[in-house]
Amino acid sequence: MTQKVLVIDDDPDVRYFSVSSLEEAGYIVLEAGDGAEGREMARAEIPDLILLDVMMPRESGIRLYRDLKTDVALRHIPIVILSGIGEKSFLKSQQALVAEGQAALPAPAAYLEKPVPAETLISVIQRILGREGQASRS
Amino acid sequence: MSKILLIDDEPDILRLLAMSLRADGHDVLTARDGETGLAAFAAQGPEIVLIDIKMPGMDGIEVLRQIKDRETDAEVIIITGHGDVDNAIEALKLGASDFLNKPVRDATLTLALNRAQSKIDIRRQLRDYTSNLEHKIAAATQALQRQAHFQAKLINSSDNGIVATDRNQRIVIYNPGAERIFGHAAAQVLERMHLADLFPAELAREFAQGLRRDSKRREMPWRETVVVSAAGEAIPVRFSGSILREKGRKMGSVAFFADLREIKALEAELVHKERLAAIGQTIAGVAHGIKNILHGLNGGSHLVDVGIQRQDSERLTRGWDMVKRNIARTADLVMDLLSYAKERSPDFEDCAPNEIVREVFELVREKAVAADVALALDLDPAIGRAALDQRSLHSVLLNLLSNAVDACRDDPDADKRRQVILRSAREAADWLRFEVTDNGHGMTEEIRRKHFHSFFSTKGPQGTGLGLMVARKAVEEHGGRIEVNSAPGRGTTFTVHLPCRAAGA
Repeated sequence: MTQKVLVIDDDPDVRYFSVSSLEEAGYIVLEAGDGAEGREMARAEIPDLILLDVMMPRESGIRLYRDLKTDVALRHIPIVILSGIGEKSFLKSQQALVAEGQAALPAPAAYLEKPVPAETLISVIQRILGREGQASRS
Repeated sequence: MSKILLIDDEPDILRLLAMSLRADGHDVLTARDGETGLAAFAAQGPEIVLIDIKMPGMDGIEVLRQIKDRETDAEVIIITGHGDVDNAIEALKLGASDFLNKPVRDATLTLALNRAQSKIDIRRQLRDYTSNLEHKIAAATQALQRQAHFQAKLINSSDNGIVATDRNQRIVIYNPGAERIFGHAAAQVLERMHLADLFPAELAREFAQGLRRDSKRREMPWRETVVVSAAGEAIPVRFSGSILREKGRKMGSVAFFADLREIKALEAELVHKERLAAIGQTIAGVAHGIKNILHGLNGGSHLVDVGIQRQDSERLTRGWDMVKRNIARTADLVMDLLSYAKERSPDFEDCAPNEIVREVFELVREKAVAADVALALDLDPAIGRAALDQRSLHSVLLNLLSNAVDACRDDPDADKRRQVILRSAREAADWLRFEVTDNGHGMTEEIRRKHFHSFFSTKGPQGTGLGLMVARKAVEEHGGRIEVNSAPGRGTTFTVHLPCRAAGA
């Protein structure tokens, strides 16, 4: 069965880049332009992996990550962060929430700091989904 | 009860008197002649001695003299024969405290003993008082010395400079702290300089006025000022002073100086560190912006590659658009950074502010139409012409108006009739007001707190996170202020108050 990847990013260019790279690698790709839409789609579709941006208007990736990882139905889904924010800053903001009394969360399956070439993005996701590559469309 | 020595050669009288005195509770010693009596006196130290004048060998007068030689305070009562007035007078001259005629009657004896005893008591009390007084004086003197010593130590070891004068403004106290601040050695200053020689003119004048008899001034509360050291260095200090009085008379003055050099140096260091932190934050923000742009360029060129390889014109177009957009983003970021970094003083020029508002309005109209936002203009004709910095006004309004359209476009409420109003008004002869009101998504408290901060953007890739900061900087450089009023879901109003000058001035 072909695996489903959900791409959540507010930047249409970045989204298009990720989506087309993943489609080329043979995944079924779902897209969402903000956190709220992303959460709805994750619940409805239960994807095999989520590619998540951190800095987004309306609902930040930091909060969405927390929501996804505390949702019983969704927390098993591996999440790959793709962001211009450094991994340290992301972990620090999660620690700050933990210090406020919120639950500690597992680290993301992978953290990719922009800029990320298409090859890197695909190889990281393939490693996580345990495949040496899906059938290419070409 | 007293210790009494009886000296009499007649054993019957001796026994009788001794019995009677013992019956009264006294401690009685007896002696049958002068020598024995003197030996007993030396050995036992009785308080009262009764001596019979007429004795064989050493007579009573001689015993009295020798006792008085030994102990001037000894109470000696002489017993004389009836009418022996000469001897009695002689005895009194020699210091006997009393005399009794024979035969000695109990009543007179008791009376004499009581008198002697009370004399002893008074003397003892006096002695006690005196020694007490001496103790007290010694203790008080010691305390005073200690206090004075303590005060001197306190003054000497105080970190603060302490300078005190007598009523003629002559310096009488000048501690090491003052030496450190003023740089003059104590020997040059004490008793030699007057306040006017040491203090800055303004400070010396204050003290001179305070010391004048008619002046009511007593305290000069702490304040920051600057003194000049012997080497000519201007030294920042905190200063306080007071006029000293004793029983209503002015006796001098005292001034305290806290050296602020170190504190000022620390403050400067702190400002420097804050600036470094701000630079660090700015760089982090710039780096984030650049990383996003790089990712876009990366993605764009990847799509162009794939498009060329596969003859896929959709990908090619999309990729090329991405590259172009990210080049534009680079330009935006660089321009915003430059205008933020540049200190600019406003250039007041004659203009028609409403014309500038209209220009900005035209510039944003296309974007508003594309975002389905109704743009309205409400101009106050009373503004006419005024002198202000046109470039600042233009860039600030463009920024705010463009933001307002974004706020409407990004509003998730689809039923709303989206609109933005741009207003101008004359507030006073030399103040103009510009308002940009939108009914877009508004700001939460959290966003309102951050919206003037660097690199904070709710617009994702569309914002550099510098726009409002640049706008505020331009308004403040122009001497104006910018205010914001916002309710989440209902919209936002930015108000710019800008000072202007009369046209042609």
